Amino acid sequence: MSLLEVEAINSFYGDSHILFDVSLRVEEHECVALLGRNGAGKTTTLRSIMGVLSPGSGTIRLDGKPIQGRPPYEIAQLGMQLVPEERAIFGALTVEENLRLAALTAPGAWPLDRIYQVFPRLAERRRSGGRTLSGGEQQMLAIARALIRDARIILLDEPFEGLAPLIVRDLVRVSRELVQQGRTIVVVEQNVAAALSFADRVYVLNNGHVVWEGTPDELHADPSVMKSHLGV
Amino acid sequence: MPSLALLLSQAFNGLALGTLLALVSSGLTIILGTLGVLNFAHGSLLMVGCYVALVVLNATGSWLLALVSVLVFMFVAGVLIERVIMRLFYQRPPEDQILVTFGIGIVVVETMRALFGSQTQHMAVPPWGEGVTRIGFLIYPTYRLELIGIIAFTLLVQYVVLYRTSLGLVVRAGIENAAMTGILGINVPRTFLLVFGFGVVAAGVAGMLYGPILSVTPDSGEVYLVQAFVVIVIGGLGSFPGAVLGGLIAGEIMSITSAFNSAYSEVMLYAVMALVLVVRPQGLFGTEGRV
Amino acid sequence: MKRFPLLPELTLVVVLVLTPYVLTHVGFSYDLMQRVLDWGILGIGFDLLFGWTGLLSFGQAAFYGTGGFVTAWLLLDGGMHSVWLALLIGTIAAGVVGVCLGWFAVRRIGIYFAMITLAFGQMAFFIEFNPLSDFTGGENGLPGVPVPTLGWDGWAFRINTGLPMYWVMAAFFLASFLLGRRIVHSPFGVVLRAIKENTARAAMLGHAVPRYKLAAFTIAAMFAGLSGGLLGVFQSFMPPDAFMLDTSGQLVVQTVVGGVGTLVGPAVGAAVWLWLRDNLQLIPGVGSLWKLILGAIFVVLVIALRRGICGEIRHLWSRRRLARLPDATRETRAPEVHVAPVMTMTAPLIRARPDAPALETSDLSKQYGGLRAVDQVSFAIQEGTIHAVIGPNGAGKSTLFKMLLDEVHPTEGQVRLFGRQITGMGATRTAQLGIGKSNQLNTLFLDLSARENMRVAALGRRRGAFRLDVLRRADSIAEVERQVETALASVGLTARGDLPAHVLAYGEKRRLEIGMALATGPNVLLLDEPLAGMSPEERISTRTLIREIGRGRTLVIVEHDMDAIFDLADRITVLYEGRKLADGSPDDIQRNQAVQDAYLGGMRDVHEPA
Repeated sequence: MSLLEVEAINSFYGDSHILFDVSLRVEEHECVALLGRNGAGKTTTLRSIMGVLSPGSGTIRLDGKPIQGRPPYEIAQLGMQLVPEERAIFGALTVEENLRLAALTAPGAWPLDRIYQVFPRLAERRRSGGRTLSGGEQQMLAIARALIRDARIILLDEPFEGLAPLIVRDLVRVSRELVQQGRTIVVVEQNVAAALSFADRVYVLNNGHVVWEGTPDELHADPSVMKSHLGV
Repeated sequence: MPSLALLLSQAFNGLALGTLLALVSSGLTIILGTLGVLNFAHGSLLMVGCYVALVVLNATGSWLLALVSVLVFMFVAGVLIERVIMRLFYQRPPEDQILVTFGIGIVVVETMRALFGSQTQHMAVPPWGEGVTRIGFLIYPTYRLELIGIIAFTLLVQYVVLYRTSLGLVVRAGIENAAMTGILGINVPRTFLLVFGFGVVAAGVAGMLYGPILSVTPDSGEVYLVQAFVVIVIGGLGSFPGAVLGGLIAGEIMSITSAFNSAYSEVMLYAVMALVLVVRPQGLFGTEGRV
Repeated sequence: MKRFPLLPELTLVVVLVLTPYVLTHVGFSYDLMQRVLDWGILGIGFDLLFGWTGLLSFGQAAFYGTGGFVTAWLLLDGGMHSVWLALLIGTIAAGVVGVCLGWFAVRRIGIYFAMITLAFGQMAFFIEFNPLSDFTGGENGLPGVPVPTLGWDGWAFRINTGLPMYWVMAAFFLASFLLGRRIVHSPFGVVLRAIKENTARAAMLGHAVPRYKLAAFTIAAMFAGLSGGLLGVFQSFMPPDAFMLDTSGQLVVQTVVGGVGTLVGPAVGAAVWLWLRDNLQLIPGVGSLWKLILGAIFVVLVIALRRGICGEIRHLWSRRRLARLPDATRETRAPEVHVAPVMTMTAPLIRARPDAPALETSDLSKQYGGLRAVDQVSFAIQEGTIHAVIGPNGAGKSTLFKMLLDEVHPTEGQVRLFGRQITGMGATRTAQLGIGKSNQLNTLFLDLSARENMRVAALGRRRGAFRLDVLRRADSIAEVERQVETALASVGLTARGDLPAHVLAYGEKRRLEIGMALATGPNVLLLDEPLAGMSPEERISTRTLIREIGRGRTLVIVEHDMDAIFDLADRITVLYEGRKLADGSPDDIQRNQAVQDAYLGGMRDVHEPA
């Protein structure tokens, strides 16, 4: 039994059909990448898993228990955490308050110091207001919020988007370490190279359908997949 | 040109009125900021606090019991209103929310009228507030001075809760982004419930504290509702500091103006509101683009 | 409704004629009937503001009182003899106050608007009560307002209270209703409804929304002023409580009870309120609880039967009508596409240079705080071509797109339409100049029919940003109707034209969205992810549609569906991280290595020693 099982979900925005029978599974301790061009449905998939969007049909199971249709706060308390594409840092709160908020409902929450060890930059800025942070710092804080909850599965939505290559390098390093520590991660990315450098398995989405599944090596070996579904 | 003594005493009146408005407006603005609901019933809830206190006072003579009763009763009332009615309206357009709270306001006022009648009731000043105090050459009613202190303390408590506790953290986060707060594992609907409850309590406590000064009729709260609206427009929707500062400013505007010409005191307040709308539409502390 | 022209009007005449004879037997006095009609006139204006434009005002008492006191004062201290003239002046005075207060109020919407109107209503009350009490009688009001007379000199006929006054009120109510109906069915009224349904879309179709709102506000103020003046006249006394918040509040309750958006709803609601007040008070034990009962009914209605009495009746009627229409729920398959080869388009109003590209940007940039979403992008879209803008996520495509029609103002740089600078003009102006846009998420007027949706779009450019054409019928402009029918035919929705938009299937809604942009008669059409959320079959038919639309027009498309892009586009611009990465023919782009790298994530950048 996989840690996370998504079976044939169909998700809609209003009556706009975005996901068509999307299925995937994530084993514990592995890192799965969801690739695809934008509009493919990657973010919608993550939001459906987190309960922000309820799928119209299909099942989502965490540890064998169905979670589709449940509100996000319940799913968060079961150990899943979403780091959204827009990061959603609370600008009116300080860095430390953002972290404390995230830790509130997590019984196994990390102590603040441990987070600051992983993200020394955040320690420097602990009293700064959220809206004063740079893009890279915001992304770090967003990931830190998931980490402080000791989440069993972290859903990363385009963590490298809009960031300078140096920061991306930093974040890739952090992500690799998280994976090496055995954390389960689902990462959605358009930056194929970055995602492939630390993913164990890959799903490719196109126009709301899962069109390919395999390992990074298999993907490298088959350039036609890249071209038709990912490239131009 | 009014005398210095008159101006000073009006300035104190302005503080007394201002702190009342600040307390009433703080509850209103927190509910608005967190739940996005403009509570048209807020004025009527002010008087509910007053009547509850009056009933308990007449029955037991104890101010402490009255306070506790008001706290409990208003909180329960707030929870009931939220659970039974407001819950249904979060997805509905803002006009519908206004209409239902307006209707609740009518029902509350008429219920009080049915129970207590329309004639003005009298609430005695508590024993520790009787008499007058001398401040230099100024003679000022003791209770009003004490009120300023009490309300300031209440607002301080509110501030501490909002900025130094976990609950306050959740409320401030919820005001900014309720969806993300939910994703981080917080039961936002339950938080909404608590926020509504506290907002209602603030109104009820304000009513109880001001009972001895106000004329106690079911309709008296309406005036303060409108003034509270003006305060939060001036101070900024959803902002606690804005409600406090806006309330004090409003109180002073009205009181000082009435030292010159009492016919214009309210008019002046609305004129200032119009000015704010033109010069800084989001209010003193409001965020741009909130409305 | 077309089968029985003037049915509502005739029904109203019959009702008004029968009322004094029928309703007197069920507890309605003449005085009560007159009050109901007075509230009804006030309510017609309020309904235009709330039911049609979507603005909930809690301050109508300000105009009610203004009209009332101006009229009363003119007839008493002002020495005016003609009641009719005094009423006219009172109405105009209310309108003037309406324009002044409205200028502040309509800058805000929703909650804010309600609060502001409430505050202004109270302000008017306090002004009336104190500073102006010499004119208004302060808390005493103005007693002794004379009754009107018909005719003059020897043939003057005084209209006494009772039945004669009723006929006068009934005549005013009928006239108000007729005027209200005309306004509602005029192009002006159609735009008001569009503003209520989807304000942003109405603005983007070229309608000057703030002016419409102010006009509606002023019209409502004038109806209020008239009814205020009539109040003083029919009861011979102008009371100060006309200005009170209670009056504004009672109006709101009555309108919701009777039915918002029905024009007669407020009168029906007033009948319910006043009848209950007068008759419940007679019942011992219940007596003073009448307002509590009414309040409770109101709350229940808002929760459960939001449409009110007349609204629910109308809703049931239209549902039956809908069910009887052929194929009411079966969606049309992929349409046979026959786009009018070149739909009548308004020619470019100005060509600054004869050879200017249709749309051109120079160094266009947009900065959000520390983030540079679009950075110095310059490119040109040639007339008559299909030009695509693509790029990986976060590339700045949607921001750039919005700047093309100035939905978003650029931080730096310029946009030129046929050589003319349009930077900073705003989407309403650029729509008037000939740029149309269809959105990624459907932004339709869901309660209007497909045909009415098209009409709102077509009225934008043909008619101008603002016209107070309240007396003509909305479908009476021949050119507009031609454009509407052509647009419907182009997207294959002619058969479904009379269905409300919310009933249409998703694919049909998408086609309506594109059709509306077409109906504005644009010279340049921007399509934002036209294929979003479509099934594979729908994509194919929509691609055909786009190709047909593109004949003889300039199209700019943002899309992620690469097959569609390479099939349709004459030229492609690629954005990456806010900057223009490449610009050329589809073949050029496919062979461009930098573009491939951008999409696949700069494989070189992230390479790291393990």
